[in-house]
Amino acid sequence: MIAPRHILGTFDEALASLRNNVLMMSSLTERSLERAMKGLFDRDDDLCANAIADDEEIDQLEIQIDRDGVAILLRFQPVASDLRRVVAAMKLSSNLERMADQATTIARRARKLNQHPPLPEVELIRPMYEQAMSMFKDSVDAFVREDVDLGRAVVPRDEKLDELNRSASRKLIERMAQDPEQLRGYLNLIFVGRCLERVGDHATNIAEEAVYAAAAEDIRHQTAAATV
Amino acid sequence: MATPDPTVVERAEQATEPTSTSSSEPAAPLTFQVKNLSVWYGEKRAIDDITLDITSNAVTAIIGPSGCGKSTFIRCLNRMHELVPKTRVDGTVLLQGEDLYSSDVDPAIVRRRVGMVFQKSNPFPTMTIGENVVIGLRLNGVRNQEFLNERLEKSLRMAALWDEVKDDLHKPGTSLSGGQQQRLCIARALAVQPEVLLMDEPCSALDPIATAKIEELIYELKTQYTIVTVTHNMQQAGRISDYTAFFYIGKLIEFGATTKIFTNPSERQTEDYITGRFG
Repeated sequence: MIAPRHILGTFDEALASLRNNVLMMSSLTERSLERAMKGLFDRDDDLCANAIADDEEIDQLEIQIDRDGVAILLRFQPVASDLRRVVAAMKLSSNLERMADQATTIARRARKLNQHPPLPEVELIRPMYEQAMSMFKDSVDAFVREDVDLGRAVVPRDEKLDELNRSASRKLIERMAQDPEQLRGYLNLIFVGRCLERVGDHATNIAEEAVYAAAAEDIRHQTAAATV
Repeated sequence: MATPDPTVVERAEQATEPTSTSSSEPAAPLTFQVKNLSVWYGEKRAIDDITLDITSNAVTAIIGPSGCGKSTFIRCLNRMHELVPKTRVDGTVLLQGEDLYSSDVDPAIVRRRVGMVFQKSNPFPTMTIGENVVIGLRLNGVRNQEFLNERLEKSLRMAALWDEVKDDLHKPGTSLSGGQQQRLCIARALAVQPEVLLMDEPCSALDPIATAKIEELIYELKTQYTIVTVTHNMQQAGRISDYTAFFYIGKLIEFGATTKIFTNPSERQTEDYITGRFG
């Protein structure tokens, strides 16, 4: 919903700038995750290094968004949908920063894996990656388009991701017993899976914030929907 | 923000659904029941068909742009508007179930039951601080000095002014600062022990410290009084009130729990007004 212009033009500008920074941060986070995972699948250390380097810019954006959000709260004391948008933007930035940290961890694990012969079991991670990324993209879309239905639909998809992670971990642990020489490699893959599972958790948080921002409805923690 | 009493907020959330009368929850006690109230100044309709219940021992804030009928509305709650020539009222206002506009009701008694504090503090300039507080009692024939002294101290304490003026009661009321004068007017209103306190932008002429004192006072007084306040300050309405009513061009657009109005209003006009996107 595009609201009519605020009586203070500077407020509209500040809100637009905050939103743009969130969008920039989500684009960088998405790119960082893609680079880290491509670095893993394609055994490309340069991509892994890029993913790790992206993290600094994302950290700076988190600081910027927090600073801008606090400034908006201080200067304009927004209420209603404006207040929800500012609060949601600040919470999104925190989740995006943690997602980017997961990308960094994945990239570091991938670089370690790349030092050894390839493990075909890396393919166990691919469905998790696809699931986590689709959740991430949809959750950010739900925030940007203020699409309550899409946000709501993201949340239950986390269960499938958790199940994929459990299943992959089981298989990798079995392989560790069968092939102890590759134990470190399998362990690194388990950690990558855990990172993707956490990306899904953050995507769920973002989807929940998107629903709150758009409809003032708190859908966290599986409770019955309760409006403020 | 002062945290509103959760039970009051819960009642307000129920009150936003006027059809939910079958609730098993006991109904919140109401001080005012306003039904289909319209007011004309000559040919001009100032408020239009307002129906609104005001809950006891809670703060209700009336917000809206200038000229929307906020002040007219609260003046109807103690018949102050009758002091304006060519005023006509239609509809009913029940105070504790009694019709305020019944022909056998004395407006002077209504105004004693429903006290009022105005935008600009207005202590009587020729009276001392002490005389200002007890003037209402004196006009009602109270002569017992001991009783007057007791009520003087009690009212000034309730208005959080006693400690500041107890040694200066003989000084003119106008010798006080603006914030103190406003609290003096609150003490004057409290001295006659009203059931309700109406406040018409009580802090608009005060600095932030004096405003904070009045806001804290309002929060404390609601345990004993029903308070209806008009304010242009949205943050103040959010801080001090349990319920908020949004008026626009004489109509009640939305009424509900303040937490609901300021986080998720139901009406687009309310959202546009409180977020600064009006007009």
